[in-house]
Amino acid sequence: MLLAILEISNFTFSYPRSPQPALKDINLRVAKGEFIGITGPTGAGKSTLASCLNGIIPHFQGGTAQGQISLQGSSIFERSTAQISRVVGSVFQDPEAQIICTEVEQELAFGLENLGFEPAEIERRIAVALDMVGITALRYWPTVALSGGQKQRVAIAAALAMLPEILVLDEPTSELDPMGTEDIFRVLTKLNQEYGITVIIIEQKTEHLAAHAGRIVILHNGEIAMDGEPWQVFSQQEALAAIGVRIPQVAQLARMLGGNSKETLPLTVEEGRRFLERMLRR
Amino acid sequence: MATTRQIIIKTENLSYCYGPHGPVLHNVSLEIARGECVAIIGQNGAGKSTLVKHFNGLHKPTSGKVYVHGRETGPLKVSTLAETVGYVFQNPDHQIFHDTVGKEVAFGLKNLGIPAAETEARVAAALEAVGLAGHYHTYPFNLSKGQRQRVALASVLAMQTEVIVLDEPTTGQDYRESLQIMEMVRDLNRQGHTIIFITHDMSLVAGYAGRAVVVCKGEILADGDVRAIFAQPQLLERTYLNPPQVTALAQGLREDALPPAVLSVEEMYGLLCKIRSERAGS
Repeated sequence: MLLAILEISNFTFSYPRSPQPALKDINLRVAKGEFIGITGPTGAGKSTLASCLNGIIPHFQGGTAQGQISLQGSSIFERSTAQISRVVGSVFQDPEAQIICTEVEQELAFGLENLGFEPAEIERRIAVALDMVGITALRYWPTVALSGGQKQRVAIAAALAMLPEILVLDEPTSELDPMGTEDIFRVLTKLNQEYGITVIIIEQKTEHLAAHAGRIVILHNGEIAMDGEPWQVFSQQEALAAIGVRIPQVAQLARMLGGNSKETLPLTVEEGRRFLERMLRR
Repeated sequence: MATTRQIIIKTENLSYCYGPHGPVLHNVSLEIARGECVAIIGQNGAGKSTLVKHFNGLHKPTSGKVYVHGRETGPLKVSTLAETVGYVFQNPDHQIFHDTVGKEVAFGLKNLGIPAAETEARVAAALEAVGLAGHYHTYPFNLSKGQRQRVALASVLAMQTEVIVLDEPTTGQDYRESLQIMEMVRDLNRQGHTIIFITHDMSLVAGYAGRAVVVCKGEILADGDVRAIFAQPQLLERTYLNPPQVTALAQGLREDALPPAVLSVEEMYGLLCKIRSERAGS
């Protein structure tokens, strides 16, 4: 495997006064440039895992941790959150809770000003980040006038302005309509493919994960239950149903019709169409 | 057995403005009959929540009329309308204010003057129905957001109102929880309750609603049987909605033997098996 940008080894974490660990013996090696979708039922530990990757745990939350998380080869626990934020950008579920400024430009400048960058550098980074997400036209807009999908793109741009190598997103589309959701996934795919940004997204919408992620991790009861390419994970339909993970409808249908390999398990509408056309021609 | 269609909610040229900006709803005329299960769909900001908030008097029309059971809502109090129309908010935290789950669920019943013994029985049944039977004494804000959403749902269930309005009841729930909530909604509908729910999840619309109302920019763009609505992909695209994956797949195949809208994986599987065996026989 390529150089690991992030490596979680034998990591166990418990919240204060909680008898059960929220994460149990997690081992996850993330190579630079991967697009990883993490999913699983409520309470599986998904958000806890995200908080470990951006330093919220242990810096702002108590609790006890065992094992190691290393970021670019050095322990995440020995870095300040400010240092982590230059490598790992975070986007949360509710853009309303993340956006604090009244204008898009100010929102992007906020983190950079806090880190003490020069005005010319701030200007350059704002322009780059807006362009990467495709919202240059929204630069001087009041944030209250934005749609949900636009707000979430502003939150992503604000994270990108720090020029992170990794983006960690915790259910960024849960408040968005289908089009807003698709917008976010398209932006993430572009950031991943054109800029080489490593994307780690926690998401319930498995149809979108199947179409965009290169790797799927299933969390269940604080443990990694599955980890593989989308077709490998979504072909294990009985196990996923038992865990309570939604299987893309196209994959469900293909399984009923006998598809089960990388070549025969379609995950998107387009792949499904080709699969069925072949089948009906025979 | 022929039954007459009894209109329980009616809007007549309903328009609504928040402040000085243009109208959020524009000349909406809609009739909902007793026993229907209606999904309200449309992109973020289309006016869906604003529309349904008129059904229990949380909003009063800027112009036009809203009738519940033939009575105009204009002069009626929200508490009077609450006897007929229960409303589950999108954000449970807009609704929950008591310090235990049990008291929260009992609140509406007390206001209706229901005797204590019956209140206790109804609260217990409602908590059981939403899977929170053991949480009578729990402080609501110690629960997860998904669980708080179910507390809000239980409060409305306990009221046993004729009409139940749910604003995005499955947002923030995992797959299994979403299905549990929708199964509960289906049971209520079978028991005779009229259900109106807002969602962005088109597979839930296909699976659970009989009728879909498409709201776009404050107007009703389409209103009809779910199958008829999903048979119009261009219409959905115009309002930034995607049909369920299996529906899009069936439409992309351009097979004459498939109906204009397939609503479930099982239905599609059955149709494909039929096509296959017919072609094998010819």
